[in-house]
Amino acid sequence: MRTILYIEDDTEIGEWVVEDLERRGNRVIWLKSGDRALELAKEADIVILDVMLPGLDGFTVGARLKKEFPGTPILMLSARTAVEDKLQGLSFADDYLTKPFHPDELAARIEVLFRRSKPEANEELRLGHLIVKPQENSVIDERSGEELILTGKQHHIFMYLLKHRNQILTKEQIYEAVWGEPYIDGDKTLMVHIRYLREKVELDPADPKIIETIRGIGYRVKV
Amino acid sequence: MRKRQSLLWRYLGLIFVAMMLLPVVFPIATIIFYEPVESQILDEGGNPLSGVDVERLWHEEARRLSGAEAAVVEERLRAWLVNYPSASIVWVDEDGVTRLRLPEDAEYPAEWSLSETIRFMKEGYDADPFTTVALLGSEADEGFIALRIPRDLFRGGGGDRFGTGLWEYASLIATLIVFVLFIAVSVLFFYRIRSRMLRLKAAMTSPAEGGIPRPVEVKRLDEIGQLEQSFNDMIMQLEKSREREREEEALRRQLIANLSHDLRTPLTAIRGHAYRLSGEQLSDSGRQSAELIDRKISHMDRLIDNLLSYTLLSAGKFPYHPKSTDIVRLVRMLCASWYPTFEQEGFEIDIDLPDEPVYWTIDPSWLERVLDNVFQNVLRHAKEGRYLGVKVAAEEGRAVISVSDRGGGMTGESVEKGAGIGLSIASLMLREMKLDWQFDSTPNGTTIRIVPHFLNKI
Repeated sequence: MRTILYIEDDTEIGEWVVEDLERRGNRVIWLKSGDRALELAKEADIVILDVMLPGLDGFTVGARLKKEFPGTPILMLSARTAVEDKLQGLSFADDYLTKPFHPDELAARIEVLFRRSKPEANEELRLGHLIVKPQENSVIDERSGEELILTGKQHHIFMYLLKHRNQILTKEQIYEAVWGEPYIDGDKTLMVHIRYLREKVELDPADPKIIETIRGIGYRVKV
Repeated sequence: MRKRQSLLWRYLGLIFVAMMLLPVVFPIATIIFYEPVESQILDEGGNPLSGVDVERLWHEEARRLSGAEAAVVEERLRAWLVNYPSASIVWVDEDGVTRLRLPEDAEYPAEWSLSETIRFMKEGYDADPFTTVALLGSEADEGFIALRIPRDLFRGGGGDRFGTGLWEYASLIATLIVFVLFIAVSVLFFYRIRSRMLRLKAAMTSPAEGGIPRPVEVKRLDEIGQLEQSFNDMIMQLEKSREREREEEALRRQLIANLSHDLRTPLTAIRGHAYRLSGEQLSDSGRQSAELIDRKISHMDRLIDNLLSYTLLSAGKFPYHPKSTDIVRLVRMLCASWYPTFEQEGFEIDIDLPDEPVYWTIDPSWLERVLDNVFQNVLRHAKEGRYLGVKVAAEEGRAVISVSDRGGGMTGESVEKGAGIGLSIASLMLREMKLDWQFDSTPNGTTIRIVPHFLNKI
């Protein structure tokens, strides 16, 4: 069970968010101001933070929390929607969600943040006929039990797609993350690498099921 | 301003000094350059003698010698020659016979005819050598004695101080020097004014960060000093008004942020309750109501956002940061974020983007917002078409972004009230970015094309 530190001064909103998060199987510590945030953040896996708070505002509290606990993701949950507010929030926070939000969206974003912050918590991942073991950096074919031998770049691309599973990644994003240099005309290079990668991971490379092509945009690994 | 600090008065003073100096300079120059030159002819006391003095002495001598013995006369005249070695002396008696020539070889005639005497007198008058003639005898009937001395001996040996004749130009030179001095001082005067002006100009045209020039240091309180003072005052006023503007700006932002916050907070609570309600056991119409509430909250949310954005945008206070942006990349990113939503709604998605980047100088977050608005409209009003086409392609030599759907067209039934403000914002933003949009709407679908005013080869 994960623990969420939730800082929100509005009782009405606070009550139903706590109720909803608890219903989804989380432990929630609810504070109505940022005063005790630092001492309670130790126990938290994720912090959800409002901006307009009595006393110290959410930006200040968040920046302090991030300094003390850089590994704990912070999600700003605010009714302030101006771009400047979002930019200020995102200078330290990991995500920024504006009110009125849908509880499903909040839950989904918490899920993403949690997964990103705790990669080692990810046990084996089943992907069609493949089993991916992130700790061992290995990809195993379930049918034969043998490990797939991927080149450095192939492995890098595959892991990047897995880390952002269910997200569509553009060619530019993948190229720049894996090669570490600006995408100028890297189109062909990336396509060639994806083709070789598919020959290893797909059952039928002509009809890929694991690495999906989103035409005109990029690629996606759906779990 | 006190008069002595005024540039005008200072320059007038300069001219006045020069004018006063000119008449004074002439006598001063004469005094400095002209010094009377001492004669080499000296009397017994060693005092220099002029021609007039010598003439007077010579006539006194002649008076003393009147009626004297010839031997006495000769002795006296020889004594004169000892005193004045460069002189020549002649003694002629009443019969016109030369009695004595000193020195012996001096060129005097032995007999003096009348015409010869007159010629001698005429030659001697105001000529070189200096000649003086004195008659002997109380009745002037005992002949005469004449003395000749080279005239340059009266002028001293070294000539004048600055070479021959230069002293005559002394006053002219002095006047010239005063003129040159006056011009030099004037040039210096104006050069200093000019350099101060240039300093002021440099201060005016090199603004510090924030676009307002820095104040200058005021050193003197003359006309330029006053100009500098006014310049500093102006800067202070500018800074004050800039400060006030910033405060107003901050206040306005704060107000809008607070308004937005205060409107959204209750909406959030309503959504929470609607969500809780939809989790209860509800009749069909109850569930529909809960869904409607949820949809209307989303609508309200967008409306608040748009209203506030529109207020800022129309006041020109919406932050705009144009930069060279690869729009192909931007459209691809946006498509990636919208793709799952359209996919979930069962849309056929057709994306056709070039491999080469296309650069527009725009604010990427503005273009994103415009395109978000377009996608949102497709999702809301063209759902029945189940098709989204996004394309970046060259048309007439420039890149054009087009988004098409197969919905019922813009006159279709599903126009949501209040959607107009979203379009107004998009229009304002596009105009600011020098882009245009064109609508091609039929009952079989709509295509929105975003066209730049500038040429942009693809």
